Amino acid sequence: MRTNRTISTALKCLRRYRLRSFLMMIGIVVGIAALTMVVSAGLGSQKRVMDRVKVFGVSAIMIHAGGGEVTQPSGGTPTNTLTVDDVDAIAHEVPDVVGVAPMGQKGRVEIKYLDRTATTNIFGVTPSWVPVWDWDVTEGDFITDEDMEGLNRVCVLGTTVYKALFDSTADPVGERIMIGSVAFEVKGLMKSKGTSPRGGDMDNRIFVPLSTFMKRVDNVDYISGVRVRFGGSGSIEQKAEEVRTVLRSRHQLATGQPDDFSLITPTEIVKVAKKVAGTFNVLLIIVSAISLIAGGVVIANLMLLSVNERRREIGLRMAVGASSSDIRQQFLAEAVVITLIGGVFGLLLGALGIGLMRQLSKMPLVISWASVLMGLVFSGAVGIVAGYQPAKRAARVQPVEALRG
Amino acid sequence: MVQAKGITKTYNKGSGASVQALREVNLEIQQGEFVAIMGASGSGKSTLMNILGCLDKPSGGQLLLDGQEVSQMDDQALAKVRNQKIGFVFQSFNLMPRANALENVELPLIYSDKADITRLSREALESVGLKDRIHHNPGELSGGQQQRVAIARAIVNQPEIIFADEPTGNLDTRSSYEIIALFQQLNQQGKTVVLVTHEPDIAEYAKRIIKITDGSIVSDQANASPKDAALALDQIPKQEVRNENK
Repeated sequence: MRTNRTISTALKCLRRYRLRSFLMMIGIVVGIAALTMVVSAGLGSQKRVMDRVKVFGVSAIMIHAGGGEVTQPSGGTPTNTLTVDDVDAIAHEVPDVVGVAPMGQKGRVEIKYLDRTATTNIFGVTPSWVPVWDWDVTEGDFITDEDMEGLNRVCVLGTTVYKALFDSTADPVGERIMIGSVAFEVKGLMKSKGTSPRGGDMDNRIFVPLSTFMKRVDNVDYISGVRVRFGGSGSIEQKAEEVRTVLRSRHQLATGQPDDFSLITPTEIVKVAKKVAGTFNVLLIIVSAISLIAGGVVIANLMLLSVNERRREIGLRMAVGASSSDIRQQFLAEAVVITLIGGVFGLLLGALGIGLMRQLSKMPLVISWASVLMGLVFSGAVGIVAGYQPAKRAARVQPVEALRG
Repeated sequence: MVQAKGITKTYNKGSGASVQALREVNLEIQQGEFVAIMGASGSGKSTLMNILGCLDKPSGGQLLLDGQEVSQMDDQALAKVRNQKIGFVFQSFNLMPRANALENVELPLIYSDKADITRLSREALESVGLKDRIHHNPGELSGGQQQRVAIARAIVNQPEIIFADEPTGNLDTRSSYEIIALFQQLNQQGKTVVLVTHEPDIAEYAKRIIKITDGSIVSDQANASPKDAALALDQIPKQEVRNENK
């Protein structure tokens, strides 16, 4: 029997038993809808991670003072281990380095403009910040070499800080703000950068010259971190290792002694984020898989019922020329067709659910062709598995017995 | 065209007991014959028909259809033979209740290589006088009409031989004659018809009558003057005619 006739016969038979077909479909619809939403949420969180990595940059690494894990950078070890000389050494000794952006950092600093106050993070930076982070001002100027040399009291605002201190139409350039008890002149306004790989607001910052920061703000002779940007080809992990070697020898760390700094590479960020999202997703996928299995069991049951009820029809089909394999294929086709239709409805329902979830929450959700394809493949597979036994039983019907009486 | 040589059929009835439904049946049916197989219920006449119609396999013996040995064929080949050479008509019509007349008639064509299924089915229904009942479901048709749908289904794939198992068993007198008249008409057009019945009255419309008792053929005679069902139909009182066509 031709395939298209098998399918059209299956469709006709499903139409003749509407209620049963509908009941068979429900389980699959729910299962596939759940799976679609889960996969979409999983892909969404993955995309969020990737977006953050993109912000971080794929050709750069970050070095923080103090050892420990990536998730808890300062891990209890002292954070006064990184110096400006270390940064120079990295720039000169490690190959393929195209830029270094050292920074000093101080958190939760009170700032004030007229009668408005805010709490923010102060970053002491050098002019290399702009090319290394690929992050420039949108208004005014960034910190210059002259500012560095003159220990000038100038600053550049992040957009979150700007919004907290100024009216949305106000031009901040030239205004004076108070950082702690020291007045700084606003030189420029940074472009918005969004969320950092760790989830922090990268726009809630004020940038001042690193020299000014070390002498006048924090009064320290060390820096808190440096971003190193690489050119050339080759693995970023390998380049990071060279940085590690240079720093360890400069810090005179013996073999076996832990690093007194922490190195963050883009791959590491992806790894950590995926680990967190992964466990959550696996759990949800298991739940949806269980609902699909339940749907499959329902289909198998109803198909068996259908075969018993339609014994006479099966016998008749055989009498007019259907072979056992024709019958087997027909019933298998009925199961697969119903699950595929259920799969399509499930995808639509899932898409609807995704739309609703997008409205209600800020959860990132992504619909991909891969997940659509996966939904269809899964539902088809459920059909084959659930329909196999009933189809086999249908093919074993003896026409003479089925037609008797 | 049908040659049965020493056909036996034994059913196992559990607990070791077995029933011999057919004992060494020898039979030959030529193209264009109209044969009635008669016998009491349990005589083995239906079993014989099922075997001749390739619906059941004999326990022993040889069956040739158009010179082809069919008793050794596999499931696939038998299905093809049933599809192309044989048409079945049953006592209880065996129509799919949820499908309309057209879809019921289409059934054999689905398993054939033929295209234009709908047109052929429509023509078959027209030939049995059901032109205006094409989209009716079996439940909306009278018994006689249902059996005519079944006959249309039996002839739609142009088989050479039609097997009818008690086709009038569930019908009133008038419908019975209508159906027999239809078989006689098909026979005149060259179809071989094998009719299984226990009613002597019906058998008299066949050209040859075979009687079977306890799984053996006890008589096989030509019927020199078969009755004409069309004439019999004319003699039925009009009262009854009106009832049937209400």
